[in-house]
Amino acid sequence: MSTDTPRLIVVPRAGRGLTYRQRLNRADVRYSPYLYVAPFFILFGLVGLFPLGYTFVVSLNNWDLLQGPGEWIGLKNFSDELVDPLFWNSLFNTFSIFLLSSVPQLIAALVIAAILDQNLRGKTFWRMSVLLPYVVTPVAVSLIFSNLFGEQYGLVNNMLQGIGLDPVLWKTDLLPSHLAIATMVNWRWTGYNALILLAAMQAVPRDIHESASLDGAGPLRRFFSITLPSIRPTFIFVIITATIGGLQIFTEPKLFNASSSIPGGPFRQYQTTVLYLWDMAFNRGDFGKAAAIAWILFLIIVGIGVINFFLSRRIASAETHVASARTRRRLAARRIAVKAPVAPNPEPLP
Amino acid sequence: MRLISRTGAIAIAGAASLALVMTGCAASGAGSGNEKITLTVTTFGTMGLDDLYAQYEKANPNITIKATNIDTGGNALTDWKTKQAAGNGLPDVQAVEEGWLGQVMGVSDSFTDLSSYGANDIKDRWVDWKLGQATDPNGRIIGYGTDIGPEGLCYNSALFAAAGLPSDRDGVATLFGGKNATWDDFFSVGEQYHAATGKAFYDQSGFVWNAMVNQQKEGYYTKGGKLNVDGNSDLQSLWGKLANGAAAGLSSNQNQWDWGGGKAFTDGSFAVFVCPGWMLGVVKGQVEAAGGDATTGWDFADVFPGGAANWGGSFLTVPTTSKHPKEAAALAAWLTDAQQEVAAFQAAGTFPSVIAAQSDPGVTGESDLTKFFNNAPVGQILASRAENVVAQFKGPDDSVIQEQVFGPSIKELDSGTNGDTAWNDAIALLNQLVVNK
Repeated sequence: MSTDTPRLIVVPRAGRGLTYRQRLNRADVRYSPYLYVAPFFILFGLVGLFPLGYTFVVSLNNWDLLQGPGEWIGLKNFSDELVDPLFWNSLFNTFSIFLLSSVPQLIAALVIAAILDQNLRGKTFWRMSVLLPYVVTPVAVSLIFSNLFGEQYGLVNNMLQGIGLDPVLWKTDLLPSHLAIATMVNWRWTGYNALILLAAMQAVPRDIHESASLDGAGPLRRFFSITLPSIRPTFIFVIITATIGGLQIFTEPKLFNASSSIPGGPFRQYQTTVLYLWDMAFNRGDFGKAAAIAWILFLIIVGIGVINFFLSRRIASAETHVASARTRRRLAARRIAVKAPVAPNPEPLP
Repeated sequence: MRLISRTGAIAIAGAASLALVMTGCAASGAGSGNEKITLTVTTFGTMGLDDLYAQYEKANPNITIKATNIDTGGNALTDWKTKQAAGNGLPDVQAVEEGWLGQVMGVSDSFTDLSSYGANDIKDRWVDWKLGQATDPNGRIIGYGTDIGPEGLCYNSALFAAAGLPSDRDGVATLFGGKNATWDDFFSVGEQYHAATGKAFYDQSGFVWNAMVNQQKEGYYTKGGKLNVDGNSDLQSLWGKLANGAAAGLSSNQNQWDWGGGKAFTDGSFAVFVCPGWMLGVVKGQVEAAGGDATTGWDFADVFPGGAANWGGSFLTVPTTSKHPKEAAALAAWLTDAQQEVAAFQAAGTFPSVIAAQSDPGVTGESDLTKFFNNAPVGQILASRAENVVAQFKGPDDSVIQEQVFGPSIKELDSGTNGDTAWNDAIALLNQLVVNK
């Protein structure tokens, strides 16, 4: 068949006989979107997926930082770490600091967001001031707080002694050190979370609030019955990101007592898991074990992420269950109410 | 149509920028013979070399030096280990600290044997134990010594006078036992001081323990490289003395390398401080950071308990990854020549490891440092303190034992735990971190 038959005009889909330019144009439309999203996937593969896989390979070896790979020992690094008291110590510290920081932080963020949600004068000023601590680098924050919480020369202990209290050993005792580190984390992240929650609160329709207040609901009642349920998805997002961040905390405990001979305090009182990992890799030089720790931590975070996901899904589905049940009840009641005048009451009132 | 031309433009731009990056990489590696050569140098802390680079560049117009100074030795160690592990990014000249030697010697074949570049012609330059430290088990010389850290005693003359003790340098040296000073003398003077003032004598137990271990013929390892801690009666008896001192209230339990931002040096928290040569600059810096000056009363005595001790000191090495080992070795040799070591001492108080420099008037004479330490002849005292120093074999886990095994136990001593418990805790950690790792 020769190319100059009129059929071509009728069936352009065949693609044959299109000019080079037309074909190029079509390929462009069809394939170039993949090209545009490719950089992310290529980068993710290079700096995300590949290191993850390589770390796993490293974790299966007896791998010295300087001497390089030794013998293949399978999962021994994992089994060693899972019975190492120092590993469990680091995990305890991580969760302790995480809980001490996240819980008060999210509550404070919620309160601050609720206040910022009111009709304040100089809104932008207040919002920016709340975000300000987030702009400061964590290293600077750690240096300042480490100084404040100094045991012999710190401002906090000076003030405590000024009002006749005993100084607290912020860098030696377990709970005070965790509190001090949690304070750093809170100082930096509360405002950031508050702004995210504020954005969600602003999206709550004002007319719901209005009608609720017409029905006589006070500000507290409105906050708990309207604002909180409406921002639940955002709140769950904030909780998940806070969890991931909290389990990977490194800079604050590292620099809290930077001159300590062991990173994370002389007795490892605030050595978090990431800090333990770093110490294992770069001070103790055992790359294989460090890689195993990284993988265990990765699995823990994935596990917590999955739990979070199912919890939030259950909350959401429970919500729709409740809502649909409520609607069904109301509809039924309505039907009865509509029927009522037609069908007389079977039992006369006494 | 439009889409095509745009992607085309993007592709061209991408290729162009990639090419730019690649040529950028290539440029730094180019050059040989009399061409322009760029040498990278990594140092740490205050080594006093910064002003010397320009001088070398002037004398060797084809050389450009790109120097990086890392703030502390610890950070520099992490930096070196990371790059060594990656096999990439190491400079042409890498400064290495004595405390790293245990780890460095494990990978000594990744350092250039400087004997191939004239090390044998200049090896008489250094005190012999310094050269010995830089020689690997196969007899290759992998580093040129910069400074050494002979230890003397820094003491605060004002506090000594207030406690009714002698406060002049010679009197203090005699008080501690002069040439035959022992740790028992040290602690008994401390108890006198404590009885008179009720205050602590030294800043914290860590540096004292460090000195005690460093002055042994064999420290945490035997010469043959075997672990030498558990059942080492010499170390254990010294530990007992340290524990008694802490129990008697002689330790101020300061955070090492922090000292409340230097305030502890000016408010009378402690009266003596173990001072290797390079530490003199640290003391001066701490006092000045806290707003003090020479009138704070710090002085430097020619005495050290338990005999001569060395702490620290560095080497300049040439990693085998260097593209210009000949030029790098020449630079390292020049930087460690007598004249340059004198200049470094004047800049930073790092006591030369080169014999000719130790007696140079630039070292023995006056400087800012001597003025700060009540006109103490710092260079002469350090030269006297450097006599009889023995080089100790540093094993692969030396720094882990120092910091992670004994670090917690030293903190325990300073917070009131008894010596035996603290020693046993250290042995438990030793077994966990080093023996059964």
